[in-house]
Amino acid sequence: MAALRDGEFAALQILLKAPSKDAVRQLCQECFCSPPAALGPLAQRAGPGLAVSAEEAEQLVSALHNLTRHVVYRGLTRAEDILCLFPENFHQNLKNLLTKIILENISAWRNEAQASQISLPRLVDMDWRVDIKTSSDSIMRMAVPTCLLQLKIQEDAALCGNNPVVSALTVELSKETLDTMLEGLGRIRDQLCAVANK
Amino acid sequence: MGLLNFTHEPVPEAVSADMHNLNQLSAQQFSALTEVLFRFLTEPKEVERFLTQLSDFATMNKISLGPLKNIVKSILLVPNGALKRNLSSEQVRADFIALGLSEEKASYFAEQWKVNSPTLTRLAVGQTLMINQLIDMEWKFGVTAGSSELEKVGSIFLQLKLVIKKGSQLENVYVELTLPQFYSFLHEMERVKTSLESFS
Repeated sequence: MAALRDGEFAALQILLKAPSKDAVRQLCQECFCSPPAALGPLAQRAGPGLAVSAEEAEQLVSALHNLTRHVVYRGLTRAEDILCLFPENFHQNLKNLLTKIILENISAWRNEAQASQISLPRLVDMDWRVDIKTSSDSIMRMAVPTCLLQLKIQEDAALCGNNPVVSALTVELSKETLDTMLEGLGRIRDQLCAVANK
Repeated sequence: MGLLNFTHEPVPEAVSADMHNLNQLSAQQFSALTEVLFRFLTEPKEVERFLTQLSDFATMNKISLGPLKNIVKSILLVPNGALKRNLSSEQVRADFIALGLSEEKASYFAEQWKVNSPTLTRLAVGQTLMINQLIDMEWKFGVTAGSSELEKVGSIFLQLKLVIKKGSQLENVYVELTLPQFYSFLHEMERVKTSLESFS
């Protein structure tokens, strides 16, 4: 499967007009992080710096987005694999620069993609506290220890997203419940060991 | 009437008369009634069964159900108060005698109280308010093979379903953990267990 269409590689060569290598680097980052819907505004911001028309800026940004996402998707990690994505007649120095920039970022991008893949709400933090219940309406004097567990749960992580919604849930566990829970967690650990040792 | 252990509030007037009526029951009848009462106290949800058993007792012993219910209400004041205040069986016995019950019957009831109080105490503690009590936990784990961003992944995920009691309703909370998070969670829970055990 080809990474990009021929027209898209042509659009990439607009980068030759970039003011500096760092500008190219910056743009690569932004194009990878941007979801497809936000590419339009990104192109509008990038266009002026490159002295190109709005249409050309859009083509460039879209091509760069597709290229970076493709490399991450395929899990390419070697320079040779990335270099051979480009067509024969592509500008040599630009090709080398783009490959270098991609290699610099590839593992951070892969981690980001993995951290933000769809999932159930994720646990982001957990705190606990042990209280001693000393009195209640049913018993005037007692000393019953109980555990309060606070789970911070993040709803939806978007790729390179900035303001995820985190909610806090506090649950109470009696000693018996905790023992049962630990039993269950122990069984999970045993199964994980069994899977790891296969 | 001297100072009572099971309550600091004045006792309803009818109680003395009810105790007097109780004294008229034979030892066997009192024992049967006590059994019905404790069965209800240890299983407070079985209201229907309790009322049926009371009704049967009334019929079998040729007592009217209405007065019997009043007597039972009076008797129950003592164990309910005793539970709240962690009273000993001697204190329960003393209270019944102070209310007018015969020594023999008071001793018998106090004996039954002693036998049943661990169960009753556990029940009362169990009824104590809990915030978002964790009722159940289900789990599954698997491997993510690929995603729309990553063709090949191979990472392990763990999903927990926590069943939580919010007020009178149950709510399910779904949470996903990575492997390092799971080990960290397990470690923390073991620390909690140590802490709870040191306070028990």
